[in-house]
Amino acid sequence: MSKLVRNAGNGLTRRNLLKGAALGAAALSVPATVRSAFAQGDGTVRVGFIGPRSGPLGIFGEGDSFLVEQVGRHLADGIQSGDRRYGLQLVLGDTQSDPVRAAQVARDMINSENLDLVITSSTPETVNPVADACEAAGMPCLSTTAPWESFYFGRGARPGEPSPFRWTYHFCFGVGNFTRLYADQWSQVETNRRVGILAPNDADGNAIRMMLLPELEAAGFTIIDAGPYENGTTDFTQQINLFRSENCEIFNCFPFPPDFPVFWRQAAQRGYAQQVKVCQMAKAGLFAAELEALGPLGYGLHAGAYWHPLFPFTSSSTGLTCEMLAAAHEGVVGKQWNQQLGANASLLDATVAAIASASDPKDKTAMASALSMLKCDTAVGEIDFTSGPVANCATTGLVGVQWVKAESGPYEFDLNIVSNADHPFVPVTGQMTSYTVQG
Amino acid sequence: MLTDIGQRRERLAIPGEAYAAFAILALLIAVPLFAGNAAVDKLTTLFVYLLLAVMWNLLAGYAGIVSVGQQAFFGLGGYFAVRLVEAGLPPYWAFFVGALGVAIVAIPISAAILRLKGGELAIALWVLAEVLRLAVMFDPLVQGETGISLLAMNSFDPTFRRNLNYWLGLAAVSGMLVAAYFLLRSKIGLSAKAIRDDEEAAKSIGIDAMRVKQVFFVIAAFGCAIAGMIWLANTITYQPRTNFGIQWTVFMLFMVLVGGLGTFAGPIVGAVVFFLLQEIFGNYGAWYLAGLGLIAILFASMLPGGIMGYVQSKTGFVPFSDGMTQNNRKRP
Repeated sequence: MSKLVRNAGNGLTRRNLLKGAALGAAALSVPATVRSAFAQGDGTVRVGFIGPRSGPLGIFGEGDSFLVEQVGRHLADGIQSGDRRYGLQLVLGDTQSDPVRAAQVARDMINSENLDLVITSSTPETVNPVADACEAAGMPCLSTTAPWESFYFGRGARPGEPSPFRWTYHFCFGVGNFTRLYADQWSQVETNRRVGILAPNDADGNAIRMMLLPELEAAGFTIIDAGPYENGTTDFTQQINLFRSENCEIFNCFPFPPDFPVFWRQAAQRGYAQQVKVCQMAKAGLFAAELEALGPLGYGLHAGAYWHPLFPFTSSSTGLTCEMLAAAHEGVVGKQWNQQLGANASLLDATVAAIASASDPKDKTAMASALSMLKCDTAVGEIDFTSGPVANCATTGLVGVQWVKAESGPYEFDLNIVSNADHPFVPVTGQMTSYTVQG
Repeated sequence: MLTDIGQRRERLAIPGEAYAAFAILALLIAVPLFAGNAAVDKLTTLFVYLLLAVMWNLLAGYAGIVSVGQQAFFGLGGYFAVRLVEAGLPPYWAFFVGALGVAIVAIPISAAILRLKGGELAIALWVLAEVLRLAVMFDPLVQGETGISLLAMNSFDPTFRRNLNYWLGLAAVSGMLVAAYFLLRSKIGLSAKAIRDDEEAAKSIGIDAMRVKQVFFVIAAFGCAIAGMIWLANTITYQPRTNFGIQWTVFMLFMVLVGGLGTFAGPIVGAVVFFLLQEIFGNYGAWYLAGLGLIAILFASMLPGGIMGYVQSKTGFVPFSDGMTQNNRKRP
């Protein structure tokens, strides 16, 4: 009997002892310990699973302990790779939502945990430092949930040049997905096709300016860009006045998530929200908790989603369909499902597929080579590294969604799928409506 | 005054502490030969903390410059390294040239900013750090918030790179400690202490306060830039908000306050304490940070001299004495 999961770091016993003793630490500590009935000697593949599980990004990791439990249950007999069966041991590391800590945790785990693979997810602030640590140490790394452009160009790769990365692989949507999605989603309600753009001075914002805006203009929209601004801005008067005077009936933003409620409240106070027919959030509006904080101002907001319980896929690592995954999460964790649950499930699905396809999962070169050729089905759909936009990256699809007031059930918000132009396998579940203040 | 100086010169000849220091240095140089990757990596982090603590102590403990903006030079060091590597310089050369560049940039900054005093100076330095961060974020290479990675480091073999960073860190720490030791015993060091204790009085006996403070400021900027480079060499990821983060200055303040402000060994002790706290309790996230704050408050209110201040007043033993404190204490 060995543990499937334990927290990273040396001095495990001492730390766990302290953990039990420290008052209130339970609320902050990393997920519970799960046992698995396999894993012996050399036949165990050790995977470091690094993500934000406390701090401001903690919601991204809310379902991790649940997922790991499900994986442990489903893969109790190990993973077949070639003619051998391997056990899987997941070592969890918490970045505490801090890039400095993310780099440190990654280095510590690489140095002292004898890992065969590192997996990580949720925002470039998590993925990039972890991937850099892996690339430098010659450790295979698979990641998701950060636009692939942020992962690839944000770490110094150049367009048109060969990929400088040998060990790190990433699958996620990118700017190209937004073009297809928005052209379809914004045509579903009657507007003047004038779009107000709010994008900060960061890689996402700059990628949006360089790549998405010209394509949206080509698709027949008039773009009014309020220009780059600093994350954490508290006064959006200038931008709101511009969008009002330009009569932008479509509003599209890519903010650092906590900035969105600040903007939208000010927009409602200054009468701009009343003008808007489509309020399309990206980066913000991923989680129901954000919408709940906005209250009735949040009814009817539009967004893109990378996962939804009605995705018609099965998570191979947990053996659950997307719908079962969401239901089980709500039953076990006691909180509404969120998109990252599916995304992290897909990361585990891809991990299991990579281990199964590697010629020798205990050999780092073989593992990296398996990642570079990985093609598998996951909870977010098929991922295929052989046909990615650039080497080391594979893309996934986005659906258009609308947050609506739930008609029944214990939760305040429901998420309707209103556009599948970018992800045609997913069924549409509702007709998109115009935004109206207070729903 | 003259006899004082005579006594100091005599103490310089006493080699006990110097032998101990050489023994420790020799041991540390050999660490990568027998210790594992994890130990080498962690000690490199400790060297970064040591550098920061020693630099902040030089500023606040000896020259009376209370800075909450030292992250400006930590972040700028990393940025210069990224830019110089982009221009084609090999990484480790870029670190050296970049740190010198930061020192040169610090000269005009010091001339402007050291005219301010106390709280105004502290705030001005913080503003400076923020302005530099914003300016760096406008560089298309850095891509705003997102930053860039020092991919050139990947061309080195992982173990070789790790050891090289370690030795670089060790060389930087020991070099800066030796420099600080002689600086504090020099005329400039004495003048700085006079300024710290009473700037007007120091000026009245002909000390050029501005010039003396500038020397300390530029040296501290250089040291913080080196620390920023070593940290970048180790993590590879450069993100402006992280590298220009206020947390670096908070770390410095904590280490010096706990170790002993204005003592030579204080920041070393403080850095080791901080490093151990982080290793043992770092996993607790917010609780760990709250604990650090509590410790800092307790030290400030109950043990303002820090650990070394307490040890020195109890035992009279002043490691690497700068010739002032101990002589004062011995006199009844």
